[in-house]
Amino acid sequence: MKLAGNDILIQSLIKEGVEYIFGYPGGAALHIYDSIFKQNEMEHILVRHEQGATHAADGYARATGKPGVVLVTSGPGATNAITGIATAFMDSIPMIIISGQVAKHLIGTDAFQETDMIGISRPIVKHSFTVDSAENIPEIVKHAFHIATSGRPGPVVIDVPKDTTAPDKLFDFVYPEKVNIRSYNPPINPEKEQIERAVEAILDAEKPVIYAGGGAINSNASEELLLLNKILDFPVTNTLMGLGIYPATHERFLGMLGMHGTYQANMAMHNADLIIAVGARFDDRITNTPSLFAPNAKIIHLDVDHSSVSKIIEANIAVFGQVKNSLTEIIKSLETKKELIDSKKISHWKKQISEWQSQHGLNHEMYLNENDDNPIMPQAVVQHIYNITKGNAYITSDVGQHQMFAAQYYHFDEPRKWINSGGLGTMGFGLPAAMGVKLAFPNEEVVCITGEGSIQMCIQELSTCTQYDLPIKIININNEALGMVKQWQDMNYGGRHSASTYQSSLPNFVELVESYGHVGIKIEKNSDLKNGLKKAFMQKDKLVFVDVYVDPSEHVYPMLVAPNGSLKDMWLDKETKT
Amino acid sequence: MIQRKLSIILENKPGALVRVVGLFHQRGYNIESLHVDPVNNLNEYKYVEKNLNIKLNKGEVSHLIIATTVNDNLLRQILRQINKLIDVLIAEEME
Ligand SMILES: Cc1ncc(C[n+]2csc(CCOP(=O)(O)OP(=O)(O)O)c2C)c(N)n1
Ligand SMILES: [Mg+2]
Repeated sequence: MKLAGNDILIQSLIKEGVEYIFGYPGGAALHIYDSIFKQNEMEHILVRHEQGATHAADGYARATGKPGVVLVTSGPGATNAITGIATAFMDSIPMIIISGQVAKHLIGTDAFQETDMIGISRPIVKHSFTVDSAENIPEIVKHAFHIATSGRPGPVVIDVPKDTTAPDKLFDFVYPEKVNIRSYNPPINPEKEQIERAVEAILDAEKPVIYAGGGAINSNASEELLLLNKILDFPVTNTLMGLGIYPATHERFLGMLGMHGTYQANMAMHNADLIIAVGARFDDRITNTPSLFAPNAKIIHLDVDHSSVSKIIEANIAVFGQVKNSLTEIIKSLETKKELIDSKKISHWKKQISEWQSQHGLNHEMYLNENDDNPIMPQAVVQHIYNITKGNAYITSDVGQHQMFAAQYYHFDEPRKWINSGGLGTMGFGLPAAMGVKLAFPNEEVVCITGEGSIQMCIQELSTCTQYDLPIKIININNEALGMVKQWQDMNYGGRHSASTYQSSLPNFVELVESYGHVGIKIEKNSDLKNGLKKAFMQKDKLVFVDVYVDPSEHVYPMLVAPNGSLKDMWLDKETKT
Repeated sequence: MIQRKLSIILENKPGALVRVVGLFHQRGYNIESLHVDPVNNLNEYKYVEKNLNIKLNKGEVSHLIIATTVNDNLLRQILRQINKLIDVLIAEEME
């Protein structure tokens, strides 16, 4: 079959099974857009800002496990996509970003809308390609998808000079069936010896904790983790990125750990004699001061990325491979040693952990307070959402206090249902991410828990939701401030609220969303909270934006004491330190 | 800390070298000297073919030698990060 470069590109994407492409047109991408118009196997979603395209593709990727695909034009289109690419990179999300570029003969001449996209994006991509000729497009696309989705996933940029997509030059189109990149061989199966060492340490442990992160989700390892713990019955904690990989309602689940982790999770990590890290990377929100981290623990680290292991915390036993496969091998080995597993060995530890939990665990019943003498508490909003959606919704979030409350109080029993920007912490992520999730799962409840600060960073996407009829629910936890910033200012800067409030400049969100054709609900009283939220969720076919005014003085706790603190050093409320 | 020499075999194509160099900069490591040549004398690079089970052609890959002063832990970390780059075939400390 003979095709022009633009059609070759689009047909290659179709061969990769792409259903949605999120983008925004412009000069350098117009040949490609013409090819999109001529086919109907893939739907293009026109966003309102390229950042929205990247986050929507990202949300789609996180929820489905399939790569998200973005198309932008050169220059400003490409630079607008940068924040979203960095967001995906930090959380290891598979994404393909196709950026238009000026024609090859213009590159380096400061041509109109010329930007060195490859150069600008280099530190925040897993890899990138420049198309040199239309003939090479199929191979480049094949390689890009392989790189984005294998090993430790990540974003891949394909920069496409306009002349390589010209409609008037035809080339043979054959899409490669196999892919082999000789310099790229991420580990798949673990080494036997390391598995045996890990199993030995597991059998020895008296105070073990399983610490699972986003890598376990990327590797689709939830079943294996459950199976492993059917055998071991160890306490399990998840990182912010790992929530859902182990059922939150399971008896052994400790909640999230780290900066705003639960008391019992942080105490268990600090006092453990064995930490089994599964696709987690010991980042600074988890370890607090690395030299004070878990002083008595042996570390087993399962990861697909060599460079993540012993980067911050030295691993005693490093197991390289897809963590799904590594867990399977550990399970197999343990099954041959069943007589050596002594559940009594850890019974004292389990008792200790439940004591910690009953001392300072989170209060999951704040929603019961319907007294109008008290302000609405943000935690109660999340608890109501959990109750109304029966824990089954996809929850996207933004960045700030509302994000932490969502992570702490919505119990995720399944992976890929908690969708948030953990690594980069990108405000503006939540709404476009929810669009991507809703497109992937139109029959599922998709909720964006956001703040009045974050939502305004990509609020233009409300218009995209109208165009494509995406009835998501947006719950705006409105504390009339950049709450997380304000919390730090309260705690570390003598309460000086520098640039963290808006001085009555917030829009009327209800009128704003109505002007886009959506439904807006404002809630200001405790006694209205439950019914107001219920009313929102009853409107299945509508995008409903609920603007909930909450206690502006509330802080997120626990909170690790920094600098120079360990995981056992926490603020438990405004007055109490451990 | 002593000066180390890193020996890196990478694809000889545009953009490959700058990814290695960029990584040093991004991670805050200093490059003290840098030398790069296309590999033409294949006899000296049999170990690459053997390690990766591939066949090299003349001029297809480059040999990059970088000198930097780092401790053991950092060296291991740098090598792992360089090895992670898609266009890098082998990165190791020079004997
Ligand atoms: C793009 C971006 N800019 C700045 C920040 C720093 N930041 C972190 S949380 C936060 C406040 C967020 O306010 P809001 O969305 O209202 O959430 P709240 O903390 O009030 O719940 C800011 C400014 C960020 N994470 N992302
Ligand atoms: Mg706020």
